[in-house]
Amino acid sequence: MNRTRVIFVVIVGIAVLIVAGAALFRAAGGQVSPPASNQPLEVRLLVALPVEPWVSEAARQFNQERHTLEGRVIHVTIVPMDGLAAMGRYERGEFGPEEGQQPLPTAWIPDSRYLVELVNSAYKEKVGRDVFLTDGEYRARPIAISLFAWGIYTSRAEALERKYGPISWRTLHDAAIAPGGWREIGGRPEWGYFKLIVPHPRRNIGGLAAMVAAAGEYYDRPDISVADVTDPNFQQWLKELMGAVTDFSSLGSYPGENLALFGYSAGDGGQLLESDLLINMAGSLTRWEPLRILYPKYVTWFDFPFTVWMGTETTALEKNAALEFEKYLLSRPWQERAVSYGLRPVSSEVSVDRPDSPFNQWKDRGVATVLPVTTRMRDPDREVLQTLLRWFDLNVARR
Amino acid sequence: MSRQRPSQRVRRSRTSLPIIALSVGVLGVLLVCGVCWAGYQALQGGLADAVPPPNEVVLRVAYSPEKDVLFRDLVEGFNRRGEKTPAGLTIRVEAVQLEPEEMLERALAGEFQAITPDSSLWLDQLDRRYAERSGPDATLIGPVTRYAVSPVVLIMWRDVAEQMGYPNRPIGWGDVLARAQSDPDFKWSHPSTASASGILATLAEFYAGAGKTRGLTEEDVNNQQVLDYVGALEKTVRYYGEGEWATAQRVKQAGRAVLDAFVGQEQIVVWLRQQGADVVAIYPVEGSLWEDHPLALLETPGLSDDQRTAFERFSDYLTSEEAQMKVLASGYRPADLSLPLDSPGSPLQPANGVDPNQPQTALQIPPPAVVQVVQNAWWETKRRANIYLVVDTSGSMEGQKIANVREALRLFIDQVKSDRDSIGLITFNSQVYEDVPLDRLENNRAQLLAAVEGIRAGGNTALLDAVNRAYTLLQRANDRERINAIVVMTDGLENASAITLTRLTAQMRDGNRKGVPVLVFAIAYGEDADKEVLQRLAEATGGQMREGTLETIRNLYRILSTYF
Repeated sequence: MNRTRVIFVVIVGIAVLIVAGAALFRAAGGQVSPPASNQPLEVRLLVALPVEPWVSEAARQFNQERHTLEGRVIHVTIVPMDGLAAMGRYERGEFGPEEGQQPLPTAWIPDSRYLVELVNSAYKEKVGRDVFLTDGEYRARPIAISLFAWGIYTSRAEALERKYGPISWRTLHDAAIAPGGWREIGGRPEWGYFKLIVPHPRRNIGGLAAMVAAAGEYYDRPDISVADVTDPNFQQWLKELMGAVTDFSSLGSYPGENLALFGYSAGDGGQLLESDLLINMAGSLTRWEPLRILYPKYVTWFDFPFTVWMGTETTALEKNAALEFEKYLLSRPWQERAVSYGLRPVSSEVSVDRPDSPFNQWKDRGVATVLPVTTRMRDPDREVLQTLLRWFDLNVARR
Repeated sequence: MSRQRPSQRVRRSRTSLPIIALSVGVLGVLLVCGVCWAGYQALQGGLADAVPPPNEVVLRVAYSPEKDVLFRDLVEGFNRRGEKTPAGLTIRVEAVQLEPEEMLERALAGEFQAITPDSSLWLDQLDRRYAERSGPDATLIGPVTRYAVSPVVLIMWRDVAEQMGYPNRPIGWGDVLARAQSDPDFKWSHPSTASASGILATLAEFYAGAGKTRGLTEEDVNNQQVLDYVGALEKTVRYYGEGEWATAQRVKQAGRAVLDAFVGQEQIVVWLRQQGADVVAIYPVEGSLWEDHPLALLETPGLSDDQRTAFERFSDYLTSEEAQMKVLASGYRPADLSLPLDSPGSPLQPANGVDPNQPQTALQIPPPAVVQVVQNAWWETKRRANIYLVVDTSGSMEGQKIANVREALRLFIDQVKSDRDSIGLITFNSQVYEDVPLDRLENNRAQLLAAVEGIRAGGNTALLDAVNRAYTLLQRANDRERINAIVVMTDGLENASAITLTRLTAQMRDGNRKGVPVLVFAIAYGEDADKEVLQRLAEATGGQMREGTLETIRNLYRILSTYF
């Protein structure tokens, strides 16, 4: 072999060694480039729909500001999802690293704390421990609150009050079963029949909350049991009430927006989240007429807890990065910003009674910065929720 | 200036030899490394993956046809912006136009990441079908964005509306249906239940038949008296058709003679007014329905984060000021509630035949199961049809042309779902042959399909004689309860008929006045077809002329089947 051939063989040999080494390194899970420490820390956050616009805006700002943890930039990705739908996905094991699963969120902001408890109890049965902590550093912390209030078109609210007295689920039930519709209730004949807005409970937990609240008023107490919701008299009453809903299909994520967009043609009013009503007050006025806000006797609160997934699927650094974003949401500027989305801040330093606040803007339409004396509806347990959902599927969705 | 001696040059060259060799060696190693790495990558990923990594993420969105102009404009506007994901991929939206029924089927097959049908009704239907496959609690519909809405209305020529009391008296479905039953010259149409406006029209009929305005049940829909009522009303429908947008275009082209009234979204009234048609929107007093054009993300297991981001960005664009102004300018009600409908420049003005303060009330939408029963019942109650398929088999049709027509005819026959509809087949070349006499499909479906298989090309083109034969047979049948129609196709010039065009069209005009109204739907197949003759045949009967090619003929026959 002459010298040129030797050189050629050496070159090829070295190249093959380099390629084989790189391939082995890669197969072993190594990262060729860039180095792991330079990659952003990804926080995947599942967010309930009523707070999603606010949290998304905060996430965009947070990402722009390039917050770091242990030298790595934190990047927050928002996945909007109704709380009940998210709960179902957790319980059915649809989140995870396997093929066919959706990526596991680092943290979750559901509508209410009881959804966290329900997921925990489901996992306790499966894996023998909580997957979301309820105390300690990683405990679920509310980031904003809102409550359910009546939002009814003024002309309709006045006619209802003239006929039946103060607005309540019982009042609306009477309106719902009036055979002659608005003609009989005291409104104008062309208004048709009384139309109630209730979101589809399978798509929006607000629909389920409305049914629980209606049960509270029916029994005149804040705690509802399975026995209560399976009572045939109650079920008949609830079915009549739900018979006044015009269209469940189009009432998806933001029922307050639908109320303003479709006006009284699709719904005269309903018990919806205060924040949803507040951000759509101007819209309903532009397109139709003003809404009136009224507070029910039994109030359902949503506290939107920021909840970090404790499983081993996410690293300690990712969990801590999620906490960094939680702190950001709880900071004063973002608590103040929450008010402009119609949410009540959890920070005691921030007031809803500011000149630019929608609470102030719509005071004359019935919005209260400080609530009148009301009773808080207790969180329903899993059996009550599932019984109501099944009842809805069988009796209303297929009515 | 000094010159180097030869010995110096030689010494220097000898000193640089190892450096050159080393450089060549390093370059060689790098080159071979590159070749080996490429080979390794190809082996790892297969040939398909050897294609350079994509630098874009595509969001496939299916949309319904009635918003074709607006949606394509919005998609183009978005794609022009060249938005990028955080990873730097360019986001591109790919829009696919589909009727809602087909959209649902293909969405279930995982072909799209998002859909925007005409109504949320379809989202319910999709979730229902998905739950049947994947479990009762499973949902496919993710976040939903609304960018444009429009109420479904009765679109009428102003003079027709005024005859019914417009604008001084509220008009309802009942008035239109009563008029249709009492006046045989009243021409109205609604789309099939494959679109939201078709479902609304059909629901209104079922509500009226059941004597209700809400709480329609499966029992109501299956009640024989209700079915008879709806069946009687459906007999007054002139024809159905592929959808409100196609009807609107037809009205724009052919004007007043086509229809007195049809069902469609309010936006079409604005559009037709902009085209010079004096139509108005009637918001039915019993209640309307909204076409809310939801854009829904489909939460399929394979949905990537990049596609989710693409959906969010596209949603943001659709609700941006730029897009919302386009929405309003097109005659839709924008989802941005800060835009007043009566703002300067808005086409939603009473002068355009619409009323932004309407509708006052809506019909109740029954649950998906009942809507499904209504859709099924409609197939049984809809106006039956007598259709002659008249097919050119002259020599010029030989080869791929006739093969594609055979396939298109089979599709047409399959699409006419009810066995109580009647179809006959007439073929022509130098002669006219009645291959399969007109009969109910329950009797002759197999015979028709066999005859279609046997079609062969050869001879001249006796087009007019063939149409005349079909027309005469339909007049002779004298079936006034049904839609009577001829679907005639030719690829060439008339050259073998005994009857003249002038005589035939005069005969048809006279026959339609005195006898049974027969519609001619004419298909000009390819460049050489005599479009003028076909146009005159269609015009003489209030029908339509459509142009088809080798590629489109199948779809064209499918579209025409929706008219019956």
